[in-house]
Amino acid sequence: MPEISRHAVVEASAKLADDVRIGPFAYIGPLVRIGPGCVIDSGATVTGRTALGAKCHVFPLACVGAGEDGQVGECLIGQANAIREHVTIRGGVDRPTCLGDDNLIMIGCQIGPGASVGSHCILSNYTQIDAAARVEDHVGTSAFTFVASGVSVGTYTYVVGFTGIEDHAPPYAMVQGFPFRVRGVNTEKLRRCGFGDDDVRALKDAFRELFNQSGAEVDAEAMARLAAESNLNVHVRRLIDAIARRGPGSRT
Amino acid sequence: MTELEVVREIDPSASVAAEAIVGEFCVVGPNVTIGPGTVLHRRVTVTGRTTIGSGNIVEEGCVLGAIPQDLKYAGSPTLLIVGHRNRFGPRVTAHIGTEAGGYVTRIGNDNSLDAGCHVAHDCYIDDRTTLGRNVLLAGHVLVQTGAVMEDLVGAHHFTTIGRFARVGPRTPVRRDVPPFTFFYSEDLERVPPAVRDVHYEGIKEARLSPSEEAELLRVLAELFDDESALQTKIEQLEKMGVEGEAAALCEFCQRSLRGVYGRYRELFRGQAPPEAAQYLPPEQQAILWRTRP
Repeated sequence: MPEISRHAVVEASAKLADDVRIGPFAYIGPLVRIGPGCVIDSGATVTGRTALGAKCHVFPLACVGAGEDGQVGECLIGQANAIREHVTIRGGVDRPTCLGDDNLIMIGCQIGPGASVGSHCILSNYTQIDAAARVEDHVGTSAFTFVASGVSVGTYTYVVGFTGIEDHAPPYAMVQGFPFRVRGVNTEKLRRCGFGDDDVRALKDAFRELFNQSGAEVDAEAMARLAAESNLNVHVRRLIDAIARRGPGSRT
Repeated sequence: MTELEVVREIDPSASVAAEAIVGEFCVVGPNVTIGPGTVLHRRVTVTGRTTIGSGNIVEEGCVLGAIPQDLKYAGSPTLLIVGHRNRFGPRVTAHIGTEAGGYVTRIGNDNSLDAGCHVAHDCYIDDRTTLGRNVLLAGHVLVQTGAVMEDLVGAHHFTTIGRFARVGPRTPVRRDVPPFTFFYSEDLERVPPAVRDVHYEGIKEARLSPSEEAELLRVLAELFDDESALQTKIEQLEKMGVEGEAAALCEFCQRSLRGVYGRYRELFRGQAPPEAAQYLPPEQQAILWRTRP
């Protein structure tokens, strides 16, 4: 039996796994499914058409799954996510808001409707992710980061505090400022994720060629030269593919 | 109208003083101590091994004593210690400490934390500080007595905000802020924040003797009026002899230079800082010294 506080409100049609714990004054909506091992703390709200994977922890006063303007939103959340105090995750109406596995969403973060966040991300306090934005795997953000509607932040990228991502950010990068500039390769994260020295060096060389001194634009010639190379490092290949996919008009 | 019978949940093993007021929809966990005269407004959650002193005001939606946002934290019984007469605005969050960071997060006396502030694991806030709206302190930050941090300031982990210093609004603090200075950048995109001025109100508030104040102002001007190397200037000043607050200022700057990226407390990374011993109960200290590398 789930362990539900006598002060919690759980709608009868909500589906809770056997070992779920619901704290006092929490609210679980009628269309919610909660996986095994989840903990919903005091005062948290989980509503909309929301599915929480196993071992998620929703901290006090977080709000997950509410659609905008009273609409019923959909929100799909993977396993082992920590959703900290005062976080708001909106449910998407046209398409679901998605969260992968093993993310740490820190205090006060807001994730808009239809946004998607990959796995193993660490979103620092007060990170704002607008509607339909896309944050890929292993992304780290620092405090007060803003990701605009519809843009993507590439995998393994680290966003420095107070940065506004108003255009697609490339993978493997460290980005800073508003409008943001590419500052270099996110070497610390790459090392932690088991990248070898060769990979890191290849990425550093490619970054030096691709981004000009200010880090604001991609050098088209360098792009073409790298794309034509036959035995390119697999990560550099992924980097230029990711930049190429965004097409002309994109700032980076 | 129906009346809710019980609208707050206080664990029977929590020790809440009889004179404390716990508002509606508050949750108080089992290892919590709340002193007399402390007022919890509505929807406040206090969990973890948290001690709150007397005369504090904790406004709506605060969460005190939740586990740290640190992936290394593995569930040890660390502490959050709050002193007396502090004011926590709405939605303030403060976390308990971590094993590696010295077991304790500590907030002193007479502080004012405005709406949405966050005090992370292993932070030390001394006395009479003012934190504006949404000020975020990362882990292991030390805010010394009388410091003022304006709205939307974010402090990098292991930074120190010096005594009676002031940090301007929306400033990322990535290195130590020296005492009695105004730390700010008018154009964040072009100029990194740095010491821009003397914090005169801070000097007034510190109530120094006239001679000490004059010497402090002289040393502040000497150190921050031009951009030449701080180290040489400090050495020159110390050779000539400085006293009191001015000497403390030189010592502070020297320490920051000795640290990593201008952050003195980086030197305590992975170990307990000196303040930990001051606030930890003896049995916790024993664990600390036993686990020390």
